Amino acid sequence: MRIKSGQDFATGLLLAAVGIAAFWIGADYPMGTAQRPGTGVLPRILAWCLIGTGGLLLVKSVYSTGSPVGSWSWRPLLAVTLGTVVFGSMIDNYGLVASMIVAMTICALGTAETRWFEFAVFTLIMIVASWAMFIWLLGMPIKAWPTSLVPFIEQMLR
Amino acid sequence: MDFGSLPSDLWLGLSACFTIKWVTILGIQVPIFINIFWCLMGALIGTAIGVLPGVGPVATMALLLPITYFLTPEGALIMLAGIYYGAQYGGSTTAILINVPGEASSVVTALDGHAMAKLGRAGPALAMAALGSFFAGTVATCLIVLAAPPLTKLAQQFAPADYFSLMVLGLVLAIVMASGSLLKAFGMIFLGMLLGLVGTDVNTGNTRFTFGIGDLFDGIGFVIVAMGMFGIAEIISNLANVTRRDLVSSKVSGLWPTREDFRRSVAPIFRGTVLGSLLGVLPGGGAVLASFASYSVEKKLSDTPEKFGQGMIEGVAGPESANNAAAQTSFIPMLTLGIPSNAVMAMMIGGMMIHGIVPGPQVMEQKPALFWGMIVSMWLGNMMLLVLNLPLIGIWVKMLLVPYRLLAVAIMFFCCVGVYSLNNLHTEIYFMALFGVLGFVFIRLGCEPAPLLLGFLLGPLMEVYMRRAMLLSRGDPLVFLQRPLSLAFLAIAALLLLFVILPNVRKARETAFQE
Repeated sequence: MRIKSGQDFATGLLLAAVGIAAFWIGADYPMGTAQRPGTGVLPRILAWCLIGTGGLLLVKSVYSTGSPVGSWSWRPLLAVTLGTVVFGSMIDNYGLVASMIVAMTICALGTAETRWFEFAVFTLIMIVASWAMFIWLLGMPIKAWPTSLVPFIEQMLR
Repeated sequence: MDFGSLPSDLWLGLSACFTIKWVTILGIQVPIFINIFWCLMGALIGTAIGVLPGVGPVATMALLLPITYFLTPEGALIMLAGIYYGAQYGGSTTAILINVPGEASSVVTALDGHAMAKLGRAGPALAMAALGSFFAGTVATCLIVLAAPPLTKLAQQFAPADYFSLMVLGLVLAIVMASGSLLKAFGMIFLGMLLGLVGTDVNTGNTRFTFGIGDLFDGIGFVIVAMGMFGIAEIISNLANVTRRDLVSSKVSGLWPTREDFRRSVAPIFRGTVLGSLLGVLPGGGAVLASFASYSVEKKLSDTPEKFGQGMIEGVAGPESANNAAAQTSFIPMLTLGIPSNAVMAMMIGGMMIHGIVPGPQVMEQKPALFWGMIVSMWLGNMMLLVLNLPLIGIWVKMLLVPYRLLAVAIMFFCCVGVYSLNNLHTEIYFMALFGVLGFVFIRLGCEPAPLLLGFLLGPLMEVYMRRAMLLSRGDPLVFLQRPLSLAFLAIAALLLLFVILPNVRKARETAFQE
């Protein structure tokens, strides 16, 4: 038995796995009565649908030829995801400016095309523009500067 | 049918568009037509987005959804709509000038449009595309005005069972019309519906699939899923295959089409408008399908089909009219029934929900100013685009000089800030990153993310209507087959599925998409 379509096979596997997981997690959700369908009805129906669709895709992947799964391009995948996560972890404590610089730099590492001088100028423009837009114009409750670091810096200077 | 109230309705819409707001600029009180301003902003942003390949209208609308929170509901929806039709205009500009279709719907425009540009006739091609789009937009707007009241009346008589079946039909249509694998589209819809169920079940108060995470008790935000799938995932994918764009900046001279151009374009514009208006109403259809269909119709009807691809103005006028008409009429099911027919309409519904408006037939009655204001704004926006687009072509072409490596960084940042601005919760940024990775996995697996988004929106609604229907029928599931409307919807859905599964129809469909 050979898999003729990598994409179909992987999608089928993914859908079936999610379906089985949903079925397992939702197993103890109450089903209610016919007149008052409970919390568990739709999850269970969807779980069966997912398992069914996944299964059909798995069968299909053996019989009909299709595209293989493309390359994963780890570099942009990791850089963009990491940049996003880092922005999320910094924004509360370190403010807009610091979060922007770190997150955008990580994201820029995702492509070999980045030219660092151009990137630095662009980042500067972006910082000024987004401060003006989000904090000054729209008045979002976001700190601009890492004020939580001020006590530390004062201690160090003393 | 009674159209007696139309003039007063349109007047209401017009006055909603021309709402005056006093703004203090540099200490001076200045009156601004605030909704016209947002309409213009939307149209301009949309055109800019349309010009840039790799940044689609769906991603842009997702990016701007959080910002619309700061506007009035009217302003928000008017701007979001402007982005959509603006993108249609912008996409065709770059398709003609430099053979880079900014949007999927202008892929066919590039064939003959760029050929015309090579012959030094970029001006007439651009002008005819804009004029055709404007004509189609006007007709389609009239169609919305005529179709909306009776459809809304009809929808108000729907019982819960009818609604449920209509949504089933909508999802089936979206699957049938989508390109690519049927099974995968089904899987994406089921997956989306499952994601939509995450959180607290409003009927029983039980939580589902929350894994004990407090931030998930209210469910996953639509904006988070949309930004992850269409924003973050697209950046990753675009960075992975950077294509070099060569700028062939052809001089745009002699803008005005000749009399011969007009004579040859009139019929294609009419046909494209009709075709686009019809295809736009169908769920899953929309602008892309309309432009492809119009191109093949023009080619079939032409006396010289072999000349297509060498600069036939019919091949520009027809598809451009069709995609704009379809872009407009795809608002009809969204406005009257509250059912999104494609990812763009899903964004519009997301915009409504941010402002606490429940989409559906009641919108026209409860928020007449919003409803008619949006419709009138579409026509005004089209007119502004017609006037502005041609003089601004130089700027749009310059915009292409912004390299994608910088755009990608900027989009990532806007996604982060946008999601954070909704609730000031940094955990939501993590969820967005997760959906970004998931979206990229789907791209690599050849799965369309749009059906997932539709399922995500419609899944919870379908559960609500299913429960109501079961309650009214005292637990008899046959209610879905006993009401004539519901039965009709389900029968059409079943027939459509049967047709697509039959092997010979499937082959024809595949070849149609390959063309």
